[in-house]
Amino acid sequence: MTQRFLSHADLGALVAAHRRVIAPVRARDDARQTDYLPIRALADAALGAALPRRSLKEFFLPPTEVLLSYRQTKEGVEIKEVPTEAQPQVVLFASPCDAAALEVVDKVMDWEYRDELWFGRREATTIVGLLCSSMDSSCICSAIGLGPDSPRGSDVLLTPVEGGYLAQVITPKGEALLSDCAATEASAAAVAQAEAARQQARQKVENNAPAIPDGFAAWLEENFDHPVWRTMALRCHGCGACAGVCPTCHCFDIVDEHDSSDEGVRRRNWDSCQTAKFTLQASGHNPRQGQSERFRQRIQHKFSIYPKRFGEILCTGCGRCCRVCAGGMDLSEILGGLIALAKKGAEGSGR
Amino acid sequence: MKELQELAAKLLADGAVQVVLGYEEGPRGVRPAFITDPAQAGRLVFDARCVQNLATYLNPRRQHIVQLGKPAVVVKGCDARAIAGLVRERQIARESVVVIAVRCGGVLQRPEENAALSSETTAVRCAGCDAREPRLYDYILGELPPPPPVNASRDEQIAMLEKMTPAERKGFWDGELSRCILCHACREACPMCFCVQCTAERALPQWIDPSPTLHGNRAWQMMRVLHQAGRCVDCLECERACPEDIPLGLFARYIAGAVETRFGYKACDDPAAPAPLGVFSTEDGEEFIR
Repeated sequence: MTQRFLSHADLGALVAAHRRVIAPVRARDDARQTDYLPIRALADAALGAALPRRSLKEFFLPPTEVLLSYRQTKEGVEIKEVPTEAQPQVVLFASPCDAAALEVVDKVMDWEYRDELWFGRREATTIVGLLCSSMDSSCICSAIGLGPDSPRGSDVLLTPVEGGYLAQVITPKGEALLSDCAATEASAAAVAQAEAARQQARQKVENNAPAIPDGFAAWLEENFDHPVWRTMALRCHGCGACAGVCPTCHCFDIVDEHDSSDEGVRRRNWDSCQTAKFTLQASGHNPRQGQSERFRQRIQHKFSIYPKRFGEILCTGCGRCCRVCAGGMDLSEILGGLIALAKKGAEGSGR
Repeated sequence: MKELQELAAKLLADGAVQVVLGYEEGPRGVRPAFITDPAQAGRLVFDARCVQNLATYLNPRRQHIVQLGKPAVVVKGCDARAIAGLVRERQIARESVVVIAVRCGGVLQRPEENAALSSETTAVRCAGCDAREPRLYDYILGELPPPPPVNASRDEQIAMLEKMTPAERKGFWDGELSRCILCHACREACPMCFCVQCTAERALPQWIDPSPTLHGNRAWQMMRVLHQAGRCVDCLECERACPEDIPLGLFARYIAGAVETRFGYKACDDPAAPAPLGVFSTEDGEEFIR
């Protein structure tokens, strides 16, 4: 991994040199919040502000998108698929939890079926992460094995230092991005300053939740019928807001929309396992009858099913689910409770 | 607070109820609590952070809560309007719930805020509140605190919207509704959205476009707000639940104003008061029918 120094002017030039750059900007409706949005100049980006309200997911898997259009003719049905090539884009100042989430979701998007729309956008995008400084008590990236300085998913990771940024070049894509700009060799002082900043950032989140222990996925599977699912789910409204803001929740629904009698489009729309409709079958039967079953599914999928299938936890600890929850459900507390039960179980069985 | 904790413990110990729905300290401010053990009643709190309308949890569809047994629920006067609504619309029987009302001096906008009540931090729904002294209750607690500072931001927004031309107003709403992802969190958090099957989920015929395009989003929000006319209790749980921070309360306030003007009705805490959608009255205006 090479380390370079980027001045503010270098970064400004980098933004100016690219047609589409996405970065956190101050939310129009609430100055305390930020959203990832396209910017024209570096000055448009909101630095060091709160974690953007929504993750980067929507730039790779939009809330709704057309998969194909169809037209019925006398000869049969004409199907036109949408192009899978995407326009090049740079994401600047991505939060490390959002950047890492893209790599985690890549696994399911290339499982059994390769999602060309997802990978078209992934390949066309260069991600410049930024050492996180907007953490709060709901951030649990460290517990998941990531951290505010995690390079995962970023092509370049920036750490603010005096006069600019220390840039860690992580991938060839990142190397290509910086080859156009006047980045210079980082001084020893800048490297030391960045390391100190990273360490300080890590300390801020380390105590928010206990690390996920070995065997946790197996414990969850073995305790599918544990009464704790019922008590923990009581305050959950089943509204699915958590899935909307989650950088790793990726489930979608596919619908056909008739525009007229003989043509229409097939779309995919974000979906959430927290709603009753998600598992409702045509017969009227619903295998996940109540909210405790739906809540259990969310935790099982993230911390047991996905890890077993892909070797990855389907969570990057961004804490958005806790911040957005109208019912006050809190993932760090839930994990803490489940981990404590798992440890107690292990002691009880002499394991 | 002690009064509340003692009452909850007594109701549970006597077997009058099996669960007390109240508020407790959580990792991000005050949150809903479900107390089933009298020894745990000490967890209950009540202060200006108790923003949530707990009547939402009385929805009979919420089987995992129904299974706990007969509930007592801690309410503010405004929340009691939702209980009255559920009784009025035959969702729950009045005697199936023990209502513990607390006299209210106003609440903050969000339960995680830890600020003093001011004209900026007070919930917009507290402005002009006529229910600080609750009327629907089995037990009433506390002394009546002084009224909170008035947060007029919602009325200012309504006035701004009313001054707009229809094209400007459409532009404003299109900007807000373009963010909607049709997650329906607004519906799930709403105490008055209790339909077994929501129109949004009817596929035959498909009344509401299920994709979060501007078209589908407009249709959904319009359908919901019209269905809430004269039923919405203005608790703004919809707005608080919205992950996209869409100012859904503006719809609610606007439609409530229209219902009051046309039908002389305001959502109230009297379960016997007939709501406009539930009565046939020859007095209703019909000059708009041409």
